[in-house]
Amino acid sequence: MKAETGAARAVQETASDANQSSGWLSRHTRIAGTAHAILDAPPLSGLDAWARTTAGVVVVLTLLQITTGVLLAFFYVPAAESAHTTVAFIEKSLPAGSWIRALHEHGSKWLVVALVLHLAQRLLMRGGWRRKPFGWIASVVLLALMLANGATGYSLPWDARAFYSTRVAASIAGGLPLVGPSARAWLLGGADLSTLTVSRFYALHVLLIPILILLTVVARLFVFREPPNAIPDNETDITKATAAITHDTQARDERAPDPHVPDARARGWMRAQLARNALAAGLVFIALALYAAKFPAPLGPPPEAAAQGYLPRPGAQFLWLFQLLKYLPGAAASLAALLLPLLLLGGLAALPLIQASRFARLTNHPRRNAGVVLFTLGVTLVALFTTLAYVEDARDPHTRKQLARQAQEEHAFRQTPFAPRRLRADDDTETTAPRNTTDDGATSSSPSNAPPAAYAKNCAKCHGANGEGKFANPSLVGITSQPRRTVEDLIAIQNNPAAYGLEARMPSFARKLSEDEKRAIAEWIASLKL
Amino acid sequence: MNRTPANARPEANKDATRGRRNFLLAFPFLVFAGVISTVAAAAFRFLRPLAPGVSSGAGDDPAWTTLAPLAELRGAQPIMREVGVERVAGWTSEREERRVYVLPQDNNRVLSTVCPHEGCEVVWRERENDFVCPCHDSYFNARGERTRGPARQDLAQLPARVENGVLQIRLEPSASVAEERPAVRG
Repeated sequence: MKAETGAARAVQETASDANQSSGWLSRHTRIAGTAHAILDAPPLSGLDAWARTTAGVVVVLTLLQITTGVLLAFFYVPAAESAHTTVAFIEKSLPAGSWIRALHEHGSKWLVVALVLHLAQRLLMRGGWRRKPFGWIASVVLLALMLANGATGYSLPWDARAFYSTRVAASIAGGLPLVGPSARAWLLGGADLSTLTVSRFYALHVLLIPILILLTVVARLFVFREPPNAIPDNETDITKATAAITHDTQARDERAPDPHVPDARARGWMRAQLARNALAAGLVFIALALYAAKFPAPLGPPPEAAAQGYLPRPGAQFLWLFQLLKYLPGAAASLAALLLPLLLLGGLAALPLIQASRFARLTNHPRRNAGVVLFTLGVTLVALFTTLAYVEDARDPHTRKQLARQAQEEHAFRQTPFAPRRLRADDDTETTAPRNTTDDGATSSSPSNAPPAAYAKNCAKCHGANGEGKFANPSLVGITSQPRRTVEDLIAIQNNPAAYGLEARMPSFARKLSEDEKRAIAEWIASLKL
Repeated sequence: MNRTPANARPEANKDATRGRRNFLLAFPFLVFAGVISTVAAAAFRFLRPLAPGVSSGAGDDPAWTTLAPLAELRGAQPIMREVGVERVAGWTSEREERRVYVLPQDNNRVLSTVCPHEGCEVVWRERENDFVCPCHDSYFNARGERTRGPARQDLAQLPARVENGVLQIRLEPSASVAEERPAVRG
């Protein structure tokens, strides 16, 4: 866009810039050099220059994630019993809460898309990653960290969807060879999903990963920074990079050029490029703001309220993984889920480190071609499996119906007003106290009496203090109306749950409970009526 | 959008160049300011302190809390009563016992037990026939009027009414945040 500028103008501009518009800040700080390093690129024009504005979009979306994340943290409480309540409070009760959460949720996906586009642009533009190897590596690392932050953030609302996807993530970790069980336990913070899992994911999501992101950015900008006029690594690049500025070389030569202070021409380009970035980022922000106002972030009912037959479906960003897991058994799935992203991202990050000359006989641009192959492979894989997941869900009438029902449930849940949560446990006993006033019932096991001590000790952890069920564990209330659930059956289930087709989560209590205790528990369960 | 016309000539006048340059410099700041102010406006509404919500959680009129039937309120001494209130704070609700004194000799006026000095709880001393605040030794007579000590006001009188022979009071939220918006919206 500046090809027509003549040497005379450049000299004039240089002179006036040095006196006035470079200004006080530039004279007392290195801001000009820093800005130059950030925006340093061969003076691009037209489409190339606009394609490079992905950088500005990434910056604005990242800042937006930090801001909205901080805002949400003012209310969110990371514990199994309060996570969903506080998110529902943000969604339903707080002014602008739904919008801010939608910005955070949708923004995280847009950010990943922007980063992928940024990588594509760097990959396709000549020398985009060769000239700035650390810029390239940092972008790949950022993408990996952003994906990790999306994955951990997904669990935080602790609704049924988050609950099940966390369980799937735990199973994937658990299926890894050798390290599986301990990887799973480390991820969950214990043997199973619990409040420890929520706080663990929270710490990762708001502290550890953001700090790593910050370190990556700082390291790239202030430590691993390519010199302003990095030497392009082959002749064509030199020609290309210098072609646009050869005509004012003379003007530069007259004042001994300092590589850290951009010349007038570069400054002019920087200004224009900054404006382009701002325009692109501003438009993306407006689009995101409108989108977030129209489509609130999903929030389903809490896991314990999910009806039987609940079909967990991950968000769009994980659909490819979800679909992939359908085709792979056990350990293969774990390995694929871990290795595939690792290989793709690792391979991309390693591109600038490969010695190109070694493969010169194979192809003229070995690294670029490898990058394009890896990148295309990744994008195709994600796109293909995501499409497959959608198509498969749309084709199965049962799935379609169930998903429609869940969408309706979610809508209904959203419409119900927020109910504040009782804080103290003794408040609950106070409200339930009238039920226990029939004191004589304690000895004659009347229907409404308290559960046997053996139940409270062994069963209540999973099935709730009054058999109401907890998280994904089934409610026991009214269970004797179902087939194969007589009192004798309930005793047999305690001895051998697998024989009744129960999930492995339900352990056998054959040796942990006496026969009397088993019978007392079974009879008490039978007394629970809806 | 902000591209120069392709036919800009080197001799184009300096003012135009400067104007363009100033625009290019100002534009990113304008965009930045736009994004910031949009988010800041939302953040302001989002973070604004919530007015405390208080209700007895019962009856057809949640603003009024039943204290006692008039028939029970007899005698020369102020009578201490506890009322359970449901205090809603954000996503939590808590049951809270609040104490008040009814003055049967004084037209069943209801006094708050909150000391107007620093907010401790005053107690009634039968022998001395006064209220005393244990924190900083403020004294109030049997009508709740300040007698000595650091407090500068009398004990607060709570709005009360009699409905069907039952004394009811209205508990104001303790905090000073104006009740512009309810703590819980539908």
